This record gives sequence, C-alpha cells and structure tokens, in this order.
Amino acid sequence: MKILLALIKKEIKQILRDPSSIVIAFVLPIISISIYMYGINLDSVKITMGIKNDDNSPEVATLVKSFGHSKYVNSINFDNMEDIKTAVLSSKIKGAIVIPNDFSTNLSRNHRANLLVITDGSEVNTANYVQSYALAISNQWLLRGKYRGLVQKPLINIENRTWYNPDLNSHHFIVPGSIAITMTLIGILLTSLVIAREWERGTMEALLSTKVRAIHIVLGKYIPYFVLGMLSTAFNMFLCVCVFQIPFRGSYLMFFLISGVFLFTSLGIGLMISTALKNQFMASMVSISVGFMPALMLSGLLFPINSMPTFFQYLTMIIPPRYYVSFIESEFMAGGVNEIRLANAFYLTVLGLLLFAGVYKKTQMRLEASCPPLEGGPKSLISRRGDD
Amino acid sequence: MQTVIIKNLTKKFGSTVAIDNMSLNIEKGKITGLIGADGAGKTTLLRTIIGLLLPNDGEINILGFNPITQKDELNLHIGYMPQKFGLYEDLTVIENLRLYADLKGVAHDFDKMLEFTTLAPFQDRLAGALSGGMKQKLGLACTLLGNPEFLLLDEPSVGVDPISRRDLMKMVREMINPETTVLWSTAYLDEAHSFDTAVVIDKGKVIYEGNPHDLASTPQEFENKVIDLMGGYNKEESLIAKNYDYKAPDVELTVEADNLEKRYGNFYAVKNNTFKIKKGEIFGLLGPNGAGKSTSFKMMCGLARPTSGTARIMGIDIKSQPEKARANLGYMAQKFSLYGSLTVRENLDFFALAYGISLLKKEEKVNEVIEVFGLKEYENSKAEDLPLGLKQRLSMAAALIHNPPVLFLDEPTSGVDVLTRRDFWNHIISLSKKGVTIMVTTHFMDEAEYCDRISLFYHGETIAVGTPTELKQQAGANDMETAFINLIKESER
Repeated sequence: MKILLALIKKEIKQILRDPSSIVIAFVLPIISISIYMYGINLDSVKITMGIKNDDNSPEVATLVKSFGHSKYVNSINFDNMEDIKTAVLSSKIKGAIVIPNDFSTNLSRNHRANLLVITDGSEVNTANYVQSYALAISNQWLLRGKYRGLVQKPLINIENRTWYNPDLNSHHFIVPGSIAITMTLIGILLTSLVIAREWERGTMEALLSTKVRAIHIVLGKYIPYFVLGMLSTAFNMFLCVCVFQIPFRGSYLMFFLISGVFLFTSLGIGLMISTALKNQFMASMVSISVGFMPALMLSGLLFPINSMPTFFQYLTMIIPPRYYVSFIESEFMAGGVNEIRLANAFYLTVLGLLLFAGVYKKTQMRLEASCPPLEGGPKSLISRRGDD
Repeated sequence: MQTVIIKNLTKKFGSTVAIDNMSLNIEKGKITGLIGADGAGKTTLLRTIIGLLLPNDGEINILGFNPITQKDELNLHIGYMPQKFGLYEDLTVIENLRLYADLKGVAHDFDKMLEFTTLAPFQDRLAGALSGGMKQKLGLACTLLGNPEFLLLDEPSVGVDPISRRDLMKMVREMINPETTVLWSTAYLDEAHSFDTAVVIDKGKVIYEGNPHDLASTPQEFENKVIDLMGGYNKEESLIAKNYDYKAPDVELTVEADNLEKRYGNFYAVKNNTFKIKKGEIFGLLGPNGAGKSTSFKMMCGLARPTSGTARIMGIDIKSQPEKARANLGYMAQKFSLYGSLTVRENLDFFALAYGISLLKKEEKVNEVIEVFGLKEYENSKAEDLPLGLKQRLSMAAALIHNPPVLFLDEPTSGVDVLTRRDFWNHIISLSKKGVTIMVTTHFMDEAEYCDRISLFYHGETIAVGTPTELKQQAGANDMETAFINLIKESER
C-alpha cells in the first residue's frame, strides 16, 4: 500500500510539472467546446440562390419576390446562364432556379409547368437544401396567388412535434458530445505515453529491482490519471452547462458515475498501447489512430451510426466512445433513461475490465532485453511476462 | 561464502549468444570489477544475475535465491543501478530519494546520505537539472538506500570527470559494510585495478578472474595485460591518416580563441577564454563536467554565438564569416549525431554532399572512407544498430570525409572500450603528424598524456595551460589524474 501511494505521489508530481497534461485536461476542452459551439453547425442555414426569370408575367414576378423574402433564402437575379455558371463556380450562389418563358402560360392553361433547379453537387448537403427550399417556396407561392384554385386540398394534415430538442438545435447534442472527445484524449493519448516513458528513460529497469509488483505499476498509473480525467470531466460539464448554457435534463450522479466507467475503459486502451509498445512516439501515433480518430468519426457523434455501412456498424461495437456518446446524448437531452444508462454502462464496464486484465497481464516484471547490436537489430525490449 | 554462484550459464537473444556457457563465483564482501569490450555481455550478465533477464540454460544462485523463480525475494537484498541511473528527471533530488525509500520500504532518513553526496544544497533541484557527476551520485544514493547486501553498478562512471569518479568510489567504499558484495562494471581499467577482484569477459566468456594486482602491479600495466587478454592490440599504420588528403595551410596558428565569453544573465558559462593552437598540434581541453568545455566547442565552430570575444579557424573569423571558417573544420559532437535509421553508407553519402563534395566524386570518396575506416563489413547496417565503438568510428568518418585541416572532437571516447580507444588515438596521433590540428576533450587522464598541450578548464575559466609534463610539475604530481585534481583544488582556494 505504501509502495502504491509512493508511486501515485510521484505520478501526480510528474503530471503537475508537465504542462502538456494540464493543457490537454483543461485548455483543450475550452478550445474544443468553442469549436463545437461556434464552428460546427449541422442545422439548416440561409442559402444564397440565383434566379433567372424568362417569364415576364406579373404573377411570376411575385414568385421571384417570394424567394427574396424567405427566411431561408437570399436571392440574386441573373440574366444569362453564363453568369450563373461563374457565380456557382466562385461559390457566390449555392444553386439557381430558372423559370422558363412558358411557365405562367402553362399554369394558366392548367398544364404542368416546369421549373429548373440547378444545384452544386460538390456540396451534397447544401444541394439537398436548395432543392427542398425551391420546392417549398414555389408550393407556398402557388397556394397564395392566382393559381390557388388549381391546387388540390391535401387530405392529410401533418403536425410536427420534435421531442427532446424542440428547436432541432444540433449544439444541444454536439457540444456535450465533445466531452467524449476530450476524455478519450486524456484517457488514451496522455496515458499511452506514461509507461512507454518509463521504459525509454530507464526508470522501469530501476523500479523492477525494488519491491514494486505488477499491480503497483498498473494501479500507480490508473489512479492518478483517473483523478485527472474526472477533474477534466467536471470542468467540461461546467463549461457546457454554466458557460454555454446547454440544457442538461439528466442526473449529475449518473453522469459522473458512467463518465467514470468510460474513463476507466479509455485508460485501459491508453495503458495497453503504452505497455505493449514501450516507445513514446509509436504509442502516440497508435493512440491517435485507434483512439482519437474512431472517437471522432465512428462514435455516432458527427455521423449517425445507423447510416453507416453494416461492417462499420458492427465495428462501432468495440469502440467505447460509441456507448458513451449515446449515453451523454440521452442524459443531456432526454433526461435519465434507465435502459440506456444500464446498457451503455454494462458494455463499458465489460470492455474496461477486459482491458484492465490485459494491461495487468502485459505488465512484465522482467526485461527480455536488448539484443546485442548488429545481429539482433535495434535495441528493442521484447516482452515476456515473468513467471512469478 | 559466495554471493554469486553461476554454473554453465547461457543467454541467447535470437541466434546471438550473449553469455556463453559461463561459470563464475563472486565472493561475499568483496568489490569485483567487471571488465569487457562493448557488447562483451556485461550488462546482460548483470541483468541476468538479478532476474531481469531469464537465462536459456545453466544454474544461477544469488545470495541463496534463484533469480528465475525468487526475483521478488531477491529484490529485497540487492541494490541495482542501471546504466541510465533510473532517476526521475522531473522530480527533485529529495523527491527521488523519498520515492526510492518508499519503494524499498526504508525510513526517510537522508541526512547522512545528502551530506555524504554533497547534494544537500541541491535537495530541491530537479534531477534533470543536475550535472552528470551529481546525477550519478544521486543514482548511487538511491541504490544504496536500505543498505543492500549486494550492490550491482552498471558502468556508473561513464562520461564523468576524474573528481566525480574519485568521489563515487569513495562513496561506495564508505557507505558499504564489510559484508557487502559489490559488482561494478566499468570501462576504466585504473578503477578496476583498485578493486579486490577483476573479472574480464569477452564474447560472453570469462577470460580472467582474480586479483588485479596478481596480473599487474600498476594500472598502466594492468591495462596492457587486459588488452593482451582480449586478443591484443596491434598498432598498425593508420590508414585513415595515410589516405588523408591534407593541404598544408599558409597560417601557422590554425585555431585561435580570443577572449571568448558566453554569459547567461549573470552566469558566465565561459569567461576570458584565450588560447592559440599551432598547426599539427593536439590540444586537449580538460575539466570537470559543466566547466564550459562543450560551450567553448560550440562557440568555436559557430554553433553558439559568443557574448563577447571571437575565435578564428585558419585565420578566418568565426563570428563574421561562420560558413567560410567552418568549411575548414571537422566536428564530432559529444552525443551521437548521425541518422540512426540510415545505414553507414547512407550517412556517409549524406555528409559527403553536406560538406560540399561534388556528386561525381562522392561515390569514390565514400568508398574510400568506408575502406580506410574499416566499415566495409557494416556498410549496410543501420547506424543505430552499431556497437558504441563503431558508432564513434562512423562519427569520426563523417567528420573527416572532407579532409578538413582542423578537427574538433568532443569526448570522442566516452563509454568506449579500451581497445577501441587505443585504435582511436592511433589515428588521432597519426593525423596530427600529417599536420592536422586537433582539439579534443576527454575524461580519460591517460588520453590526456597523448596531447601536445592541455588547457585545464574550471568554472568557465582556464586555470592552467601547458604540456602534460609541465602541468604535472606545476601540480607536483606523478600522474595526470592527481595533477588534474590538485590543480582544481588549488584554484578553489
């Protein structure tokens, strides 16, 4: 116990003296939450469209006007296709509408009238918005104007009600989700360095000839970084709820409890990488590619999991942030849902315990050491667990 | 009573045999020196003795324990200082001591230890900010905590000055009790000569075991005897010097330092450093760790800017025309500064081009250098895989590839075994005979004897200059090491 305490004390001093760990725990959240708050926006935005009107009738002029007055669209008038092309190329407009010269004539004769909508396929999301805005605005115009009588009354009236996030404000789930990213960084990136560092600097060799046992080494790393991670989580929570005013409807106790389980799992991944590789550079590269990138892309935070190809859907099952992101989103927006809490906590606990067992098993109490130069290749420490 | 009993021990790494059917006993209460060339198996032997490595075959018994199955019990009785000392550089001196005391389960009673190591005034300094000599003392202090019955030290004196080495030896001798067994691996044969027993190993086998005084009565003779045991050193004509394309310069004073000074705030790393080196001279820069030798070197080759004063190489001012001055210079840095992941040939290719050898002549030049430096066998090995001695040889090859008339060598033989050092100095002396000017730093006092003139450096200032004989006379000493220590002590008064 005294040994474990000494190791923890040592680790805490090292953390406090290393500015990079403090930066990752407390400065990075500020940056990352600000980016998610102000930089990323998945909601509909105001789009600038071009309009080329070849029909000179006064009715159609009101259609052009309604494009200008919409709260979703800005419009710019064009006279020829060439100008539209240039404007799209320079991203001045995101799409264009061409009203053909027989538009009002066709409508008056009760024929089907054509409307050309040009979109920029290089930005798929925006292209979809342009299409649906164009359709919605022209339908509304039809209901209000002279051709009102031509439209059949819809038989079904749809009433929309959005639960949990009535404004459809994506910040309400993306900003809390960034907690998962920060905690992954602390859990994986920071800790992937710490065991490797002891091997590189030769301190591990000295530790191994003292009373230290494998469990001391493992807990001596888990505990201090767990504390650092939880402090950072609390700071993240403070930023989300108090500074950025993101509504939180769940229970704080459950939030910190399950965040703790997630942190335990992340630490497991980081320490596993560190124990296996014994090389700080390699460890940081690996931890970014197996830890950070999947957390960002496969956790369901930015890209919904059910729209991924089947293979990737299965792949997400072994990615801890997936469970945590799903928990955070429900805890923030829906309030506590016990099924979701339980399911995610269960998977995280299983993954975390497996990783802990793996780290413990991999922590060796001997060095199977440096091959003599030349014949043996680089001075690598090949692992072999002691049989003690 | 035996502390170590080893019978027919074999340790292999892949197909390489590091310890070859070795049998060895080490007597309790004795200090035993472990000597051998680089890659002879010294570190592997130490690590196997304490159970950090598992042998492939043979029997091993340490203090009555089997390190293969009883490592944890054995750990309670030993103190092991690895080559890198095992210190936490981001913890202070006292924090390192406290940590290791807790890990060994001993009380926090460091007064005697701190006083003895003279580390008391530096208790709150980070271990990473200590000089090399002080780090070693701290490493040793951590190892000595809990009065281990068996002390294993892996080359504790690499790269430290004679004063620190003497302190270290004194520390060990006074802190242990008559029952303590010490196994001390070293490259310094004068050190090994003063121990109770010497064990010389070569290619994983013991080639001598016994009282060093039985082998030779003086350290110098002992060194020669050990070299003979290792197969002997045949002094041959230096091919490096023979093939050196030396163009005699028209200046007589090839290197001049003119009131060089480097100041950091109120601290003078180097102060009023003035000397002149003649063509073909070997000029030795000696001094304790942290005296300002490396800083002087860096200023003289234009890598650091002097705060005042200047230096001239072949009469060219290093401050106003650094590039032109540097073209006359070959510099071998203290740390291995070649590309570890490139092969020997690729490194030389690179340095040939970097030193401005034309693309057409490069191939021929590199082939020649590989030949004369005896690197043919290794030309396709990665530089980082070479043993230390060969790494140093490659560094020297890279520094000499453009045949500069002036050569700066910063601790070229630190951590290198005695055979390689002999070979190295054979080349240095032959080059100087051809007319190459050489400035060199070293902590080996026997090497200082090879210098034509020596400047003794302390606290950033020159405290004595002269030929080795003159310095010994001045200090009233018979050997260079005593002269070094006396002169430093004198300047402190």
